Amino acid sequence: MKKVLLYIEDEFCDESLGLLEVSRKLYPSDEIKTYAIAINQKKHSCINGLCDVIFSLNDEDIKTYDQKAISDILSNLQSQFSFDAILFLATHMGRCIAPSLAMKLNTGIVADVTAISNENGEISLIRPAYSGKIMAGINIVGQGPIMMSVRSGIFSFEDYKKVDTKLIELKNIAHRLGNIKIKNIENKKIPYDIRKSDVLVSGGAGCTDLENLNGLAKLLNAHVSASRAVVDKGLVSRAIQVGQSGKTVSPSLYMAFGIHGALQHVEGLKDILNIISINTNKNAPICSISDIVVEGDAVLFLKKLIKRIEKGYQNDC
Amino acid sequence: MHIVCVIKFVPDVDNFSYNYETHTISRNDSQMLINPDDACALGFALKMKKKDPQSFIEVVSMAPSSITSQLENILRVGFDKATLISDSLYAGSDTYVTSKILSKYLDKIDYDCILSGTHSIDGDTSHVPSQIAQCLNLDHLNSIYQIEEDTFNNSSAVVTVENEKSSITYEIGLPAVLSLSRESSYRLPYVRYKNLNLDVSDKLNIISNKDLCFSAEEVGLKGSLTKVKNTHVKTYETRDKKIVASDDNGVEVVYNFLKDKGFI
Repeated sequence: MKKVLLYIEDEFCDESLGLLEVSRKLYPSDEIKTYAIAINQKKHSCINGLCDVIFSLNDEDIKTYDQKAISDILSNLQSQFSFDAILFLATHMGRCIAPSLAMKLNTGIVADVTAISNENGEISLIRPAYSGKIMAGINIVGQGPIMMSVRSGIFSFEDYKKVDTKLIELKNIAHRLGNIKIKNIENKKIPYDIRKSDVLVSGGAGCTDLENLNGLAKLLNAHVSASRAVVDKGLVSRAIQVGQSGKTVSPSLYMAFGIHGALQHVEGLKDILNIISINTNKNAPICSISDIVVEGDAVLFLKKLIKRIEKGYQNDC
Repeated sequence: MHIVCVIKFVPDVDNFSYNYETHTISRNDSQMLINPDDACALGFALKMKKKDPQSFIEVVSMAPSSITSQLENILRVGFDKATLISDSLYAGSDTYVTSKILSKYLDKIDYDCILSGTHSIDGDTSHVPSQIAQCLNLDHLNSIYQIEEDTFNNSSAVVTVENEKSSITYEIGLPAVLSLSRESSYRLPYVRYKNLNLDVSDKLNIISNKDLCFSAEEVGLKGSLTKVKNTHVKTYETRDKKIVASDDNGVEVVYNFLKDKGFI
């Protein structure tokens, strides 16, 4: 039997469920016991009933941004339970705590894993490097445990049976305390980063219908981005601008609605797997780098496509 | 104040050579540059040096000896000391080993604050700063885009970090490891014309495994706890541009494309 510890962050609880799928990919032919650790979380609703054990630790003095405290606590759990693998989501905090813990445990770690292979028990963790130009398969050697941070949204969590989750309250675990305190928190107006989006629905001068762009984005589990023309009109924040004066994006799907595709915009498109462009001018520069070009009014097409996808969902149900 | 900047030289990602036999980067051949996030750390340190000329700034880097001339150029911008940690035994070290090596040197010197970058443009694991902090029993914050200059002293720093959902301002006790991101406004200035040929050899400190005394099994590829098994270059098909009209058929083509590719 393999024992896997999942580090669950309150803010990314739903995304963390993908770590259950990662456990299954790591050990496809073993029985797996999954343990989740939840620090200072009022409810563990998203993972409750899906993993075998939840370690719940409630102590106001322990801050999740304190790498000293968290790495000590996790390291103590490791010495008690000898997990075969410890998994983190590759979030801002996950990517800080994971390497810190790996160093404490003297084990190898792989960051930002996007795929896993297990060939006759040999586990390879696959990750992009060199701005995504190279994919590397990496093995962890030594005593273990296997540690990694996993790119969010890649491993999807499906068809799991509900299990009886045992709740274990953790108390009196020895740990250091860091000397860091929060002075101020400001929430971002745009809660996502288009550089990290897997699917982008992008609007240009020919399509400023934000309501429907958002509608399509919701259906595709995507984010909305925009060209400079839309930003300069003051319709959206510069934070979601694609292009040389905006951000460089690498989603797997980029849908360009009414975007001409001047060089400054195309400069912001890097290593995109699929591009669909909708434009009244089929010879616009964006069209020459597209897989599918829809010739016509972008706003009208956007509305039609939303209807079609909604109908598809109804038929599937 | 004694500030140490730990920096990395990285291959130009648009133009680098990778050895597919050994799965290592041919750092000797590729055009190397200062990792952009790390350059922000240098820029901030220099700004502090301008405010307080008594400050001492040391730049530390683990790299092949071919990087010496680039380190000399950094010294010419106005740093007090540069330490190059270089040994053929260290080639192929993963992040775990690299952090051990750097920490062993850092443990020997005095500092009030260690600055670094957050992400590197080559490997982009962000492991080393966290791991150095763990080895040296220091606090660490990354993705810092602002450090309050007026309150920065040898006992604490006020820094602002950007994460997925918010900007958070922390007060952190020093010494600590502070990792900057290129979203910050700190930049490394160019060498002034009159200093282009300045002799900086007395400020350059080159150390090897003779000084750090690791066994050959502990470092390099041998000591690494992660091994690159295989690599492949990500390739993209040439675009098979398909033109459709904005009618029901066009909608169907796009719908099926999205469905086939798993986006719906």
